[in-house]
Amino acid sequence: MAPFVRSFRGNIHRFLIDVQILQYLIILVGLFNLSLCLYEDQVGKFDWKQNYVGKIKFASFDTVSAAKKIIVATEENVIAALNLKSGQILWRRVLEKGYAGQIRALGGVTDGDLVSVSGGVPAIVRAWDLATGHILHEWPIAEQNHDRIKDVKWHIKDGTLHHILPIYNSAVEVTSYDSKTGDKLKTRRVSAPFITQETECVLVAPYLACLKGDSSLAVLLLVHLFDTHSQPQSVTINTIFGAGAQGPYHLESVLGEEPIVSISADNNQRKRILLVGEVPVPIQRDIVGDATLYVVSVDNENILLETTYKNGVTEIVASELLTSKSMPNISTSVTHNSLLSPTIIASVCPRQTKGVTCRHLLASEDHSVALLQHNKLIWAREEALANVVAVEIIELPMSDRDQEIETEFDQKERDVLSMMFRRVGSQLKQAKTFLQSMLSFTPQQSNQRMDLVRDKFGLHKMIVLVTSAGKLYGIETRKGEIIWQLRVRGIRGFSKRSDAIILYVQRGSRHFPYPPQCALLAEDKQTGEGIVYTFNPITGQPLDGLVKLGYRIKQSMLLHVTTDDFLRGILIFDIRDKVHVYPKSATAIAASIAKNTYIFTADQTTGILSGYSLSYSTSQELISHKVWELLLSPKNQKITHVVSKNPIERVHSQGRVLSDRSVLYKYINPNLVTIVTEGVGHTHKNTLNLYLLDAVSGAMIFSIMHKRVRGPVHVVHSENWIVYSYFNEKSRRTEIASLELYEGKIQSNTTVFSSLATTKLPIVERQAFIFPAAIESMRETITEKGITSKHIIVALANGGILELPWMMVDPRRPINPEVREEGVIPYMPEIPIHMDAIINYNQSVFRVSGIHTSPSGLESTCLVFVHGLDLFYTRVAPSKTFDVLKEDFDYYLIVIVLAALLISSYITKKLASQKAQKQAWK
Amino acid sequence: MYKSAIFLLFIIVSTSNKCVIAENDEDTSTDLYVIEGKVFPWENGAPNGWQLMTHVMANGGEHYGFLREDGTFIISNVPSGSYIIEVVNPNCVYEPVRVEINSKGKFRARKVNLIQTSQVIQVPYPLKMRPLTPFRYFQVREQWRVTDFLFNPMVLMMILPLLLIMIIPKIMNDPETRKEMEQLNNFTNYNMPEMSEVITSFLSGGEKQKSKAVKAAKKRQ
Repeated sequence: MAPFVRSFRGNIHRFLIDVQILQYLIILVGLFNLSLCLYEDQVGKFDWKQNYVGKIKFASFDTVSAAKKIIVATEENVIAALNLKSGQILWRRVLEKGYAGQIRALGGVTDGDLVSVSGGVPAIVRAWDLATGHILHEWPIAEQNHDRIKDVKWHIKDGTLHHILPIYNSAVEVTSYDSKTGDKLKTRRVSAPFITQETECVLVAPYLACLKGDSSLAVLLLVHLFDTHSQPQSVTINTIFGAGAQGPYHLESVLGEEPIVSISADNNQRKRILLVGEVPVPIQRDIVGDATLYVVSVDNENILLETTYKNGVTEIVASELLTSKSMPNISTSVTHNSLLSPTIIASVCPRQTKGVTCRHLLASEDHSVALLQHNKLIWAREEALANVVAVEIIELPMSDRDQEIETEFDQKERDVLSMMFRRVGSQLKQAKTFLQSMLSFTPQQSNQRMDLVRDKFGLHKMIVLVTSAGKLYGIETRKGEIIWQLRVRGIRGFSKRSDAIILYVQRGSRHFPYPPQCALLAEDKQTGEGIVYTFNPITGQPLDGLVKLGYRIKQSMLLHVTTDDFLRGILIFDIRDKVHVYPKSATAIAASIAKNTYIFTADQTTGILSGYSLSYSTSQELISHKVWELLLSPKNQKITHVVSKNPIERVHSQGRVLSDRSVLYKYINPNLVTIVTEGVGHTHKNTLNLYLLDAVSGAMIFSIMHKRVRGPVHVVHSENWIVYSYFNEKSRRTEIASLELYEGKIQSNTTVFSSLATTKLPIVERQAFIFPAAIESMRETITEKGITSKHIIVALANGGILELPWMMVDPRRPINPEVREEGVIPYMPEIPIHMDAIINYNQSVFRVSGIHTSPSGLESTCLVFVHGLDLFYTRVAPSKTFDVLKEDFDYYLIVIVLAALLISSYITKKLASQKAQKQAWK
Repeated sequence: MYKSAIFLLFIIVSTSNKCVIAENDEDTSTDLYVIEGKVFPWENGAPNGWQLMTHVMANGGEHYGFLREDGTFIISNVPSGSYIIEVVNPNCVYEPVRVEINSKGKFRARKVNLIQTSQVIQVPYPLKMRPLTPFRYFQVREQWRVTDFLFNPMVLMMILPLLLIMIIPKIMNDPETRKEMEQLNNFTNYNMPEMSEVITSFLSGGEKQKSKAVKAAKKRQ
């Protein structure tokens, strides 16, 4: 019997080995399969999405439909319906990007239909279903005067769209169309010979009001647009203001249903309003200059609402329009965090059983929208988040307990006695808190929220967002909750760098007890000079506040060395090539490394790239010295992208193993910068140049030109490779090209790379691939140590976010399939888009403007934050989660198996001893 | 040196590009056209308001078309040229179509072939966009199956020896099979120490048993 058992067991053994081999095979196949997908039950587990509409341009209450809502049209070319009660988006239609989708007029909501006019020449008129958001009709307006689209005024009333164009020195042309079908109904010319290019005109339907004259003597002229026989009426400024008013005057139409204009005088100190009609009625009452006005009708009576904002208090004063009698039951005053000099953009005051209840939609200066009812703020939307310009992801601080331990083992004092005291003290404290919790005392209010602490794997972080409105947000990554918000008033992005605002992390949260610190670099709105604003990215507390620098910023850089309190200084380069350090205390440390510090600048308008060395600096002052200059012909070529590597990136492997077991060393130059120029003008329109430049030595490493190629160009630069996308005009498709740089089989310097010592040019491998979708943005993943393979996160125009393995765009993919290298797939011209590599599944995000990636505490995992009109956050694991157990790991099975093995071994032990006993008896 | 090189480059660019532009100029006309078509929902279970989730995009967002309630759409203000028309819907895959409008305003719709761009397979115009398949974004989580469980190496390791110990002795009592087995055994002779014996001896601990076991093995041989 035993031989059989043995042979059988041998077979099992063999089988087990086979199973193992099979497993390896499965793993290998899995590697090539490259599937990175999500399971369905993981939906929303570590991702979230937030939808926004953007800064409100037009708004209107829909009181006609059964479900009450607010219709808005925004600067981001979005038409949306918001829920009246909660502010949530009921439906949202995203129109074309930029100029082609710019919304020019919105109207007809009070009549039960919604008509929008958008786009350039010719404009598109679209009629939408109010309730569902479907399109009903669409037609283009045939425009005769192409260059005058900005002067055109639109008026939508009773299913008719009026296109109002002033013709200088003669008349106003009013063309009426049926807003549904686009049929031209009537064209009228109303004589208005006074209109010139400088005349300030506003539309107060059915009149066009124009202010003519200089600051000393001005006349308001009113033209009835629908009556061709009428003569323009004129009202002098003196009849409105009485004697003694001073110019310059400014004309504005007052929002609301009534035709009313407001004129401000005395340098915007006061204003007065004029009720436009057959006989214009001026209201003889001064209104403060900074009040914003709105006219709402309550029981067929017109009420004027004046909104003022002072010291955080928003005050809405209501008064009867004609009699100026104040109405205290409608007037309100609110103090709320999310209001900042708001204006009423839409308002309704329906009469209900309890009386008149007014609802006001307020748009604040910081792009946020709020609904006010009575004295209560019903909801607020942070629409500034639709326009994010800078992102950083910051680690959260340690919990209070960990911080105590940290202070306990502080390295600075090594005295035995003091350490002893500290130990006892902290233990007493711990005992005290324990007792308190035992006796159910209320816990001490901590200065931070309990859940905002670092987790084990460093996955819970804080996203710091800077928006174009100058508002900063801190959002935690787990649920996407806004933790803090901060307004920085009077700043704007660098106008030379397409309104970019720069955000630097000067000190992370690892240096307890020093608080983390971020710095914002921007321009002053009035002077255009640079400003620095420092704040705590975890709590949102300003640290040094707004610091005006008094010079214009040309370039800036975060130093890689820290001061004694772990603060990294910022090197700022002004337009006169002077170097400054912020904060001043970091000057000494900056001077100590000045020998090896280089700065480069790129000027988009002149096409000049220059490199500066700081090696002439003294310990008191930093002196810059130009070392190289390069001119990229500005007439034909415009610099559109300057892309350097992510400064926190680490490269784990120095080379690549070839099939013959030799190593091809990577050319890892941290100073390498990719510069893309696109052709301008007629003859060079469709060319694209890409240069690889060493920013320290000014050496041109590589350059490539593409003909018959146009933007949009997106560049990713990492490790020793560059991946960029463009549109191929000849084949009419999007292509992705990749470059890879190698030093060769010998590494020039194994420890540190020097731009000045290395003269040999690298070997450049390159290849291009067809990409079957339009690209909005691209970014590479990044991990803590760079061991994990790199993927490229690609935002597609159809709303998907694709995780594309770098392996797919590897320029060493062999065209000849017989040449095999480890981990290289044979070349195929088209990169397939796998549906399961779309990391945001059906949570489409539109108008993506950027992707931010950040390493987590786990080597395998990278955090991805996508911003645009929507915000989306998730995490990806390019090489799968090799460092943590899978979340569906079967703990029960392993416990059961181990227990069963243990039990069975005891049973067999028993059985064996019994058997031995029996045999002994034989 | 680089400057001159780049300059040289530009000269090459400028000369080579002139002819290209000349070509393009020919079909530039100011007339604007309208692309029409209809999008069909996924037959079974198209959710309410699928028209709202869907829009049509020409050339990756240069022009948009929105769906009416019946699924028809128009893309207006399109100059003559070539356009890839894609249906954007988060739930279904639609095949893109290339629409070409020549300077005289003639329309031609064809299948998109990015690799062989000159190949023409015409499709009817006005466009009819039908869904190919629903999107499959998710991996299917492995279901718990009996076979999977049984072929799990851990389970195999546990159950098979048990089976062997419990069942084989009973079969062994049959003399014929015994003979067969002995024959079989002659073919496959392993010199490996037997796992079970090592384990049992280790667990039972004593030297005695071990020697006994060896003896027993000897006897059997």
